[in-house]
Amino acid sequence: MSEQTYEISTTLDVTGLMCPMPLVKARKAIMDLEVGQVIEVLATDKGSIKDFQGWAKVAKNVELLAQNEKEGGDTTIYAHVVKRTK
Amino acid sequence: MVIKAPPTTLTIHEIYQRIISDNDLFIVDVRNQEDFATWHIETAQDIDMVNVPYFDFLEDETGSVEQVKTEKEVVVVCAKEGSSAFVADILHQHGFQANYLAGGIKEWGNHYVFRTVQETDNWQIYQVDRAARGCLSYVLISNGEAVIIDPLRHTDKYLDFLQQKGATLTYLLDTHAHADHISGAPDLAAATGAPYYLHPYDGIHPFDILPPKISYKMLADGDEFTVGDLKIRAIHAPGHTLGQVAFLVTAASGEQFFFSGDTIFLDSFGRPDLGGQGEKWAPIVYDTLFNIIKEAVSDEALLLPGHYAKASEANLNGLFAQTMKQMWQSNGALQYTERDEFISFVLSNLPTMPEQYIEIKRVNAGLVEPDEEAMSELELGKNICALSDAYDKK
Ligand SMILES: [Fe+2]
Ligand SMILES: [Fe+2]
Repeated sequence: MSEQTYEISTTLDVTGLMCPMPLVKARKAIMDLEVGQVIEVLATDKGSIKDFQGWAKVAKNVELLAQNEKEGGDTTIYAHVVKRTK
Repeated sequence: MVIKAPPTTLTIHEIYQRIISDNDLFIVDVRNQEDFATWHIETAQDIDMVNVPYFDFLEDETGSVEQVKTEKEVVVVCAKEGSSAFVADILHQHGFQANYLAGGIKEWGNHYVFRTVQETDNWQIYQVDRAARGCLSYVLISNGEAVIIDPLRHTDKYLDFLQQKGATLTYLLDTHAHADHISGAPDLAAATGAPYYLHPYDGIHPFDILPPKISYKMLADGDEFTVGDLKIRAIHAPGHTLGQVAFLVTAASGEQFFFSGDTIFLDSFGRPDLGGQGEKWAPIVYDTLFNIIKEAVSDEALLLPGHYAKASEANLNGLFAQTMKQMWQSNGALQYTERDEFISFVLSNLPTMPEQYIEIKRVNAGLVEPDEEAMSELELGKNICALSDAYDKK
């Protein structure tokens, strides 16, 4: 992942959802973005870390900018920062 | 076109039985490549299987479906269950008979297979295989009494089996303090009152050097246990751990069985470095293999090891067993029998030490008490107790 600053346009909350839903919803939300805009996807499923990495490699219109861990009460929240590139 | 039945779940037991009896399933594992590489369903026979992540189906449905090249019934596997149900639906729409694994891949991790080593009127020996991890444990029964050697974490599997056989648990024996998996012995001791035996050198955590918080009875070289027609003798066989013990069992008929723990395997032997002292312990492994074990265990004894690396090590009955004679002839890791050569071979072929092994030893010493989720996280993937992993890569 490249070190760069980014500005988040939208946040998508998929906390509590299990795979494949975080990715299914993220793909839909990205289609509503302009090219170049950035979305932050908040998930609680730990498996989403590797899945977003693998998905970003096969999807032709996105770049995974960052994956951050946030404390959200009892649960850890994984924030996937994705840019629409096409 | 014949319309196929809509997707439904299959249990891991159903899937495993179908593969080993008819091999009429095609598995589509839809986890990401890294997780797939760590572990996946495996049996002694070759399985028809592809790894196509579910996000590939999202991005390129046609291309992904094309990778499912089969006329067979398809079973989709994922981490939990959601993605496999999702992909099974897609495959169903494309005309496949597709079902999915109930509970996801963790059910494979929790799948135990009980196999008969030998059954006579007076005594029986069973091999218990936790196939996802290559971990073997054993149940010995005679006269209504039972001994379990190296019980694994899912204690209900053993308790159900003993109830079915009408046997009472008499002794729990751990060959050593395990690093790759959590022992079921303390829980079984608490549940049944049967005494739990471990060599005291292995009660102490080799990194923390703290006294253990589990209670156990001290095992010593030469200790004997009798269960009906079976005599069990403990042989201190250090090197993999300092308190490593192996059990030589002699039946009233004279037949012998060698429960080797992590000393010697069918095609490798136990690595000396999981206690952090590989250079000091490698020479001890040499002495144990070529002096202690070679002296104490006859060629005719049946070797029943603590692990295997590949499902294909099983014999035609599906058992991981062979005579000591066969093992000495065919063990691929015993190519160097001269002391110095052996030691330098071992030290230059050590696989990486999985980070979680230190923590698993803490669990086994009772120093930490993780919850169920943390325990299954610690136990992900295959054991790396043998030298063979590095050996295979050569
Ligand atoms: Fe071990
Ligand atoms: Fe082991």
